This record gives sequence, structure tokens and C-alpha cells, in this order.
Amino acid sequence: MSIKSLRSTFLPENPILPAIVPVRFSLVLVALCLFTGCGNNPHPSPLREKREDGSPWKTAYRALPDTPRSLDPQVSYDTLGHAVIGMVYESLLQYHPFKTDPYELTPCLAASLPRRLPGPGGGAIYEIKLKAGLRFHDDPCFAATGGKGREITSEDAAYAFKRMADPKVECPILAVLQEYIPGLQKAYEQAKAKGNFDYQQPIPGVDVVDRLTLRLQLVKPYPQIVYWLAMPFTAPVPREAVEYYDGRRHGGETRPQFKFHPVGSGPFRLAEWNRNRLIRLVRHEDYRATVFPSEGWPIAENRRFQPVAGKPLPLIDEVHFTIIREGIPRWLLFRQGYLDSTGVNKDVFNSVVSIGQELTAKYRKRGVQLHKDTEPSTFYMVFNMEDPVLGRNRPLRQALSTAYNEDLSIEIFSNGMDIKAEQILPPGVFGYQRNFVNPCRQFNLARAKELIAAAGYPNGIDPKTGNPLELTIDVTSDSPESRQLTEFQKNQFEQLGLRIKLEENLWSRQQDKMDSGHFQIIAYGWRADYPDPENFFFLFYSPNRPPQGNNHSRYASPEFDRLFEKMRTMENSPERLKIIHQLNALLVEDCPCVLLSHPVYFSLNQPWCPRVSSNPLLSGGLKYAEIDSALRQERQAEWNHSPHWPLGFLLLLIGGAIGYAVFWTRRHHA
Amino acid sequence: MLFSGPGDIMLNYLLRRILYLFPIVFGVMLITFSLFYVVQSPRAMALQILGPKAPKEAVANWLHNRGYDKPLFFNTAPGKPPLDSQFFHYIKSLAIFDFGVSDATGEPLTEVFKRGAIPSLLITLPSMLLGLFLSVSFSLFLVLVRKSLIDLTGVFICVVLMSFPIMDYVILGQWLIAIKTSYLPAFGFNLEGITTAKYLALPVCIAAVAGLGAETRLYRSIFLEEINQDYVRTAKAKGASPNRILFSHVFKNGLISLITLVVASLPFLIMGSLVLESFFGIPGLGNLTITAIRTSDFAVVRAVVYLGSLLYILGLLLTDICYAAVDPRIRFQ
Repeated sequence: MSIKSLRSTFLPENPILPAIVPVRFSLVLVALCLFTGCGNNPHPSPLREKREDGSPWKTAYRALPDTPRSLDPQVSYDTLGHAVIGMVYESLLQYHPFKTDPYELTPCLAASLPRRLPGPGGGAIYEIKLKAGLRFHDDPCFAATGGKGREITSEDAAYAFKRMADPKVECPILAVLQEYIPGLQKAYEQAKAKGNFDYQQPIPGVDVVDRLTLRLQLVKPYPQIVYWLAMPFTAPVPREAVEYYDGRRHGGETRPQFKFHPVGSGPFRLAEWNRNRLIRLVRHEDYRATVFPSEGWPIAENRRFQPVAGKPLPLIDEVHFTIIREGIPRWLLFRQGYLDSTGVNKDVFNSVVSIGQELTAKYRKRGVQLHKDTEPSTFYMVFNMEDPVLGRNRPLRQALSTAYNEDLSIEIFSNGMDIKAEQILPPGVFGYQRNFVNPCRQFNLARAKELIAAAGYPNGIDPKTGNPLELTIDVTSDSPESRQLTEFQKNQFEQLGLRIKLEENLWSRQQDKMDSGHFQIIAYGWRADYPDPENFFFLFYSPNRPPQGNNHSRYASPEFDRLFEKMRTMENSPERLKIIHQLNALLVEDCPCVLLSHPVYFSLNQPWCPRVSSNPLLSGGLKYAEIDSALRQERQAEWNHSPHWPLGFLLLLIGGAIGYAVFWTRRHHA
Repeated sequence: MLFSGPGDIMLNYLLRRILYLFPIVFGVMLITFSLFYVVQSPRAMALQILGPKAPKEAVANWLHNRGYDKPLFFNTAPGKPPLDSQFFHYIKSLAIFDFGVSDATGEPLTEVFKRGAIPSLLITLPSMLLGLFLSVSFSLFLVLVRKSLIDLTGVFICVVLMSFPIMDYVILGQWLIAIKTSYLPAFGFNLEGITTAKYLALPVCIAAVAGLGAETRLYRSIFLEEINQDYVRTAKAKGASPNRILFSHVFKNGLISLITLVVASLPFLIMGSLVLESFFGIPGLGNLTITAIRTSDFAVVRAVVYLGSLLYILGLLLTDICYAAVDPRIRFQ
């Protein structure tokens, strides 16, 4: 077609031309979408449709609120990174998927739980034997085996410890472990001085005994070391992969850095990581480390789990982690059936959860499952024990604690979900007392007023000045909700006649104040690194004061310290439990903080992939998940019906508008 | 005077405009650097990236590796060059377009920007073209039917469209097109040939419609200004039809201002759309910026602000050049 004829087609003496052209353009766009679109499914196709045996290829679709910064197991220390690392790497030990009260460790890459032997000078030796025949993922970095993943040995486990001590790796837990394995600190300092880490040099205290045996020699007892062995930091890493994926150009091609191209031994290997969009994992064909447990699940689940007990893992073939930063699209995709599970955010809470904290009828009808899980965390308000007013006045602290109505706070700010904290230990941690009643945490205003009078401030009045006693809470109010919460906290304490000043800080300033001790009251929270009481009571151990430690209250009790030192090196036993109760009693009596809550989260699962494990400390739990692909397909079709009438209506509307415009212009410009 | 002819005047004008860039860009860099320290100290950033439980040594190591432990402006330590400070390193690296690596992930930022530019352009360019097409057509139509009830209704619709924030369009679009009718995905992106259109259609249409009200009103006023000019009266006196006057005279003359506006926005297109990219999961530069702000990735923020300011200034410069090219009076001012 010539330019002229094109012109005559598109540029006639038509006064409404500009209105028509975009309509055509839009129609072309819509048509293009209809032809290419295949509906509203946002996910790229799975790698395969069927397995080799003809059964359906099973893909899990999950969302991550952000892209992980690093998938290096020796570096990542956030739940986001661990969600993926836990699937790609296996640690020496792991948490049992069903046993959460108390939490229980089971072997993973290790053949059994580590054997504890007495060490020289009162220390301890942990001997870890690896399972034979376990392999890393296939990857081009294994040049010696032509890309086939090689067997995991104790050298790989020792290599993980060496990487922790390499200053270039920036391992965040080095400071914790080097206290017990001083060889790590020495290696770190040598490498820092030389500017290079010598990986040929063995680290004293991390001994390779034979091909499958590793010994950790601790200079002092530290039973909690076993929990670190269940975290990704100690996961064996192939040296070939770290050296191969160096982020440099080789033969015209830039290799990614190791932290963006993990090569592990987990149930899934990384197939694609499109930063800001998608992480695609595929089943590791040679995965042999664990099988589906044969016991430990609730009796009610017998019918579901009995048939898969002892089966090889993973039960699914592919996992898509879609990066969805905003809550609204995450919820929309779940509603459409394009995500298998999601949390319940505040925007949709009322439409999903009823007043009785049950699923609403609409979602019950869909077969959606609602789960309520307690985090192994405790939130509390720290009193500065070095403050001249608060630190020397126990009745004043007790009065503040007694006047704080946490039940009301939970009702207002967490839809009544959270559990009121009566003790520093959260549920599931050894030593947690289910029916424990903390006298200072029972809201009783009359009692609180008696206490404040006993503290020397009747009706909150400071006798020296004749004015209400003024206390300051340092806050970081970065959202309307946190502002409302700090107002609530202020009001709770002001019920005693005090004057509470809220001092707003930037997050960094707040951190500085906590470290320097320039505050009176400050909010804080702690999530368990591992489910041991030591990981919570150490928050009040006096040598653990900031800036090196986390005893932000600067609580210093010789009795507490003595009991803590005894308790922390003990294995779980009735004697240890007795000491834990004594520690708890001391904290209740001295009241260095107002205990607030243990957070509870709601989550939803689609009917085709009911949840397996509720263990919040287990990363990589998707290896136990099962998916009913046929049911998913059926429900997605049912929930995503595309009616044709809106398109017809739209075309009619556009046609009508054009017709009217033509009519109008002809009439007025004839 | 260095230049004397008309071409020289233009060149002189151009050079003057380019020289203005330096103090402006320096000011932007100084403000960004200072604001960064007001909002977030490097230590707080390290804690945010390494996790609040990160030991002090890990934090110190992290700061040292990135040069955040150097003095802010001048190094007064004995034996150290005075310009061995964070600010001068920052100025130097940006001036030579060495963006370094992301503080959060350690990825080279040049790679990150290259990766984000295409998805951003895939959203912003079609949005701009579609929006331009719709708004010019609509505004011309309103000019054609000016002072009638249709014109009044059209302007009213434009005001209504302008009154809603883009978030409302996003929510409405996702609800209507993705949830209720299931025509297009509510979220996602996949750069795979023609199927990419499926992911782009909804955000592109939303962006075009969201800007329709304001743009139509602006273009309508441009065309109305033209239609009251003397040459239009002359054309009418010569017996030209209203359609011919509108499309052959008014449209062409109005196009000059219109092109100037469009050219000004062109360089900025590469920076993407913060809201749309974030809500539709488009892995472009807008999304990258939001993420960098959220995660306190100062290396990304400073590079984005620097690039953004350069592109913005470039847009303004192009506008000035366009104006000067079409209107000689500006060159002589």
C-alpha cells in the first residue's frame, strides 16, 4: 500500500479522525492481549508438564515480600534469605517439622545427632558424622565430574566454618562462635592482616577426622551449638562453586557471584533467579538427605500423613517464589488461586477472619484453610535500670507494669490475636510455663496505685516538686499505627497520674540511645535464634550489656548472673528447668521490663496444598508439601471466569460515542 | 562577545545552559548526601542490611569495606589526604559514572540499571504514546465542539479524572480487569516476546487513563489559544472549513508547544514509574528505587537520584533548545 493510499485510509477529511485512531489502536492492543494473553494467570509456565512416569509435574507458587539480598548461607541472616536458602542448602541438623512444643532437632546431612565428648580444660567436643552418598546439585562448577554434583564430605562442612572466618565473607555470627572456637578469631585476624584468607590452613577447633567425620572443639561448654548446626550458616558449601562463581568475566561471559548462584545439597536447586521478579527452584534429583517423617504429627492428621511416611522428598517438582512487595497484589493473586498460601494482612483481615477468629463463610466455602501460629518472639518495654528514677525504684517499675493493660492493647492493635506475655520465654521454648501468672502483668489499676504510692509517688506526684513525676518513652513512630500504639502506651502509664513524654527518634538515633543508655523506657523485641532459654535470658545477663550485647535494660543481678551461667551450659533436664523457673521469678520480682506479647500470625492455604509443618524455625519446609494439581486447575478455572459481555458493552459504548460524535459534527459543520 | 551570528547565538545559548548544569548537579549531590545522613546513618543502614542482631564487629567490617567509616567531608587524620572523605569519594565516583556496587546485594549498579531500563521503558514509552494519542484526540474533539454541552461535559470528565490519585486507578483497574473479568493478570512480568504484552497492557492503559484528564485540559487550552489567533480569522475569511482550520492550521501550530512538552519528558521515561512498577511487579528502575529506599541501599539511591537529576536537567535543556529553536526571541533574552 502506498503512502498516499495509507493516508487516504487513515487521514480522510474526517473531523473525528483523532478520536477513531486511538480506538483502533486500543482495539489492536486488546486483540493482541486476547490472542497472546491466555487469561490472567501471572506465572510463567512450569519447566515441564509431566514427570517421566507420566504423572503431573507439581509446582508450588509462593510469594516473597522482597528479593533476598544474598543466597550465601554463611552470610544471610534474615527470614527472607532463609526461606530460599533452606530449600537450596541442607544443614547438618534440622528442626522436626511437627514437634514444636518443645522444638526438636533431628539429623539432616548428619547421620545422627552430634556426639558430645568432654574436651580439654573443661571444654566440649562435638563429633558430627555425615551420611554417606549425599551429593551437591549438578552444576558446571564441578569440572572434575563433568558437571555432576560430587559427594558431600566433612571437608565441605569444615570449609563452611572457614568461610565464616573469612573477613571478605562478612559472616554475621562469627562473633558468637569465635568465643567458643578461638581458632576462628585467629584465622579472621590473620586474614585481615594479610588481606587474604588461607583456605589451605586448617582452623584449630574445626577438625576433619575422616572423609565423613567432623569434630568441633569448644573451649567451654556451649550446648546451644547444636542449634547453630541446624541453621544455614553451618551448611556445607562446595569450594568449587565459591571459586567458580566469582562475578568476573570468563571467556566472554560474566559469571554471577556465588551469593546469586547458590550450589547446595538441598531438596531443590536454583533454576532461575530474576532479581525483583522470580526465583524458580527445581527438584534435586539426587536428594537423599531426609525422608518424610514417620511420626510426630497430630493424631488427627494420621490419614493424611500415613501414606507419605518414609517417602523420599521433595514431594513436588518445582517452586516459584514470585517477588510481590505490595500486600494488595499478593492478596489478589491468592484470591484468584495463583498463590498457594499467604499471610492475612490488615487490609483484608475482616473479610477473611470472623470475630470468633475463624475463617469467614466465603473462604470456608472455597476450602481455604486458616492457620494461627505463635512466633517464638517476645515484645517488651525496657526500663533503664541505670536511670536514677526507674533503676532504684522497684515498686515504681512494678506499678508501671501493673497499670499496663496488654489485653486491651492486643484487642485494639492485633485484632485480639497475640498472646499476652507473662514471661520472657515464648511458647515452645524449653522452660516456658503455660499457666504461669505474672502478678505484675495482671492489669489492676488499684494495685498499681498502691504500688506507686509505695514507690514514693502517691497519685503519681513527685513530692520533691509537687508536680506529676515525668517519665520519657523513646519511640520510633514511623507509621500511623505505631503512633497510635505509642499514644496508647502513654495513656496506660498516665492512668497513675504520671506525666509521660514521648520522644520521637529516627531508627538510628533510637539504636544509639539503646547502646549508650540515654533513655528511660524504650520498646524492644526479640525473636529466637534458636529455641533455648539461654537465647532469651541472656537479654538480662549483666556482662551482655550494650554496645557489645543486648541487655538493654542494663539489669545487673549477681544472683541472676550466677544462675544464668549455670543454666546456659546445662542440657535440658529437671534441674535446668528448676533454674529457669528461678530466673523467671527473679525477673518477675525485679521487673526490669513491661512484658507485652508473643505475636501470633494468621496464614491461609489453598485447598489443593494443605499445610504440612507449622514450625516457624524450619526453613525449607516446602520439601514436605504435597499439591493436588487437578484440584488447583479446576478451582482456578472456576474462580477466573472471563465473561464476554463487558467487551461487547465496551465496543458498543465506543461505537455509540463515535456515532454520536459523527452525527454531532455533521449537524454543526455541514 | 565570543559569538556573533545567529548560529553563534544559539551555540552561546546552549553552552550557557550546559554550564548551568554543573552547579545544579553539584547542589543535588550535596543535598542527597546530606539528607542521607539526616535520615539514616551508615551504621543504621548496616544494621538494616546485616540484621538488627548483627554483632558490632560485623557492622564495623561492613562499614570499613564500603568506606563508610571515613570522615564525612574532610579527612583531618594525620598522614591522610584531606579529600579522602566520604563526600569527595562520592562526588568523584558519580562524576565519572562509576556507580560502584549495591550496598545491599553487592551487584554492580551498571548491570542493575541496564537490567531495569528495558522493563521501565516498556511501561513508560507505550503509556506516553497511548496517553498522548488519547489526550490529543480528545482535546481536539473538545476544541471542535467548543462552548457546547459536549465540551463542558468533556472538561468536567477531565476534572473528575484528574481528581483521583493513580493508586485509585491501579486498584480499580486490578479489580475490574484482573478480578472481575479476568482478562489480564493483576500482577507480573515476563519478557518473552509477544506474551510480554499481556503483562504490560493493564499498567500501560492505567497510566494512559490516569494522565488523560490533565493532559487533555492542557492540550485543549493550547489548541484554544491557537484557534483565537489572527491567522485562524484569516483562514475563516478565506472560506476554509472548520475541520480544515483545526487540522491543517491549529493542530500544526499547537504541535510546536506539544512537542516541546513531550521532548522534555522523554529522558525521564527511562526512570520508570514508581507506583505502577511496584504494584504490578515490573522489575524496572522505579521498582528498584522503591526497593532501595526501603532497604536503605544508599549506593542505589544516590545513583538513581544523580541519574534522575541529570535526565531531568537534560529534559529541561531539550525544552529550552526546542523553545529557542522555534522562537528566536528566547535566544536573544
